[in-house]
Amino acid sequence: MMALVRKDLRLELRTRETIVAMVLFAIVMLAILQFGFGTRDDDLTRFVGGLMWVTLAFTAVLGVGRSYVAEREQRVLDGLLVSPVPRTVMLGAKAIAIFLYMTAVEVVVIPLVGIFFVKGPYWDAIGWIAIAAVLANTCIALSGTLFSGLALFTRARDLIFPVLFLPALVPVVIAGAGATHAVAGGPHDMSEWRGYCLFLLAYAILFSLVCVATYDAVFDD
Amino acid sequence: MTPSSTTDGPARIPGQRAAVIWGTIATILVVASTIGVFLIAPEDADQGIIQRIFYFHVAIAIASLVAFAVACVAGILYLRTRSERWDDVGEASIRIGLLFSVLVVITGSIWAKASWGTWWVWSDPRLVTYLIVVLVYAAYFVLRSSAEDDRKMRYSAIYAIAGFASVPLSFYSVRVAESFVHPVVFTSSGANMPGTMLWWFVMSQVAMIALFIALLEVDLLGRRSERALRRLAMRLESA
Repeated sequence: MMALVRKDLRLELRTRETIVAMVLFAIVMLAILQFGFGTRDDDLTRFVGGLMWVTLAFTAVLGVGRSYVAEREQRVLDGLLVSPVPRTVMLGAKAIAIFLYMTAVEVVVIPLVGIFFVKGPYWDAIGWIAIAAVLANTCIALSGTLFSGLALFTRARDLIFPVLFLPALVPVVIAGAGATHAVAGGPHDMSEWRGYCLFLLAYAILFSLVCVATYDAVFDD
Repeated sequence: MTPSSTTDGPARIPGQRAAVIWGTIATILVVASTIGVFLIAPEDADQGIIQRIFYFHVAIAIASLVAFAVACVAGILYLRTRSERWDDVGEASIRIGLLFSVLVVITGSIWAKASWGTWWVWSDPRLVTYLIVVLVYAAYFVLRSSAEDDRKMRYSAIYAIAGFASVPLSFYSVRVAESFVHPVVFTSSGANMPGTMLWWFVMSQVAMIALFIALLEVDLLGRRSERALRRLAMRLESA
């Protein structure tokens, strides 16, 4: 499995096209969303959860959508499918790669969100937001791997993938935004934060079971 | 010699009798429950007549979940057997479940307008998450229309299973946020309603599930008829 993860990471490190594009896209999104409110309010702390997680959701669509490009365009997938690699291992490797892409983006985005949108002390909140982000990344990686696999051989796959992926991401955005809001806006509401994190954990467990149960059938050609 | 060829009547498509039986049962139950809900069940002291929408809103919601569960099971069975029959059951169930889900959102919206003075309440996670369920299952048909042959059935089955995973999340989400306004009628300690109301609710629920089964049978009958017609056309062409 780690060999497949290394393959994805090495390809990315050579070209650096996906992660750099994801980070830039996320920063542009944050700026656009801020203008989209139509207000020049100094304190946008109460919108911070939504701003951050809508940005990350769309960044995930961009990144996950590109995750099978090498497999498809350079026929890597054909080689993988004829090799004795279990499909679930392929799933696990792709999910880990997507998880790492998202983490790389968040390393930049989460502190930026703090600087741009949170007035007052925020560094203690960053840690709690990062924990929620790790859980959310797991959800994004698992569902993203499954839906991008489904969209891979469809007509208009670039259009199909967001249509499949975004509705599945809505609960993640709700929980991620809720967890962020619970710790970013003044006094921390840790019970609310815990509730949302548990929700994300439940989502991750459920989708990991679905992925393990169905992934064999995705590439059963 | 088949039984149908011994009579002058038209050949029966398998499942025709089941569709007629379930159609009759569903009609009787829906009419009886509608009469019961509007004429017999007691009026809610707080909300008045608008509370009666609860009998349909919740019953349709549960029936839609049953439909999605059937689609999920059909998806699992399709992946195990690769039988076209289970693909038919899955697609028909999701089609009906989606129709029911849209009705849940509409009736929920009407109830929200009467109770809270607004058509939509974003702070109510259950209503919002039901909207997500609608979006999830609407995407099923987009996926289905863009894949071909064996992949279409396979992907549909996988998506039906993954889509059903989002359903329990809609129930879990209502308990995550602390400030929710949706009335929680069924709690772990039982139902928060008097016996007569509960009786008519159960009646409405049974009626909606019977309606789902009847619609499913009719849908499957339509598919079988279409296939039989196609086979007949091919036979006539080759004759």
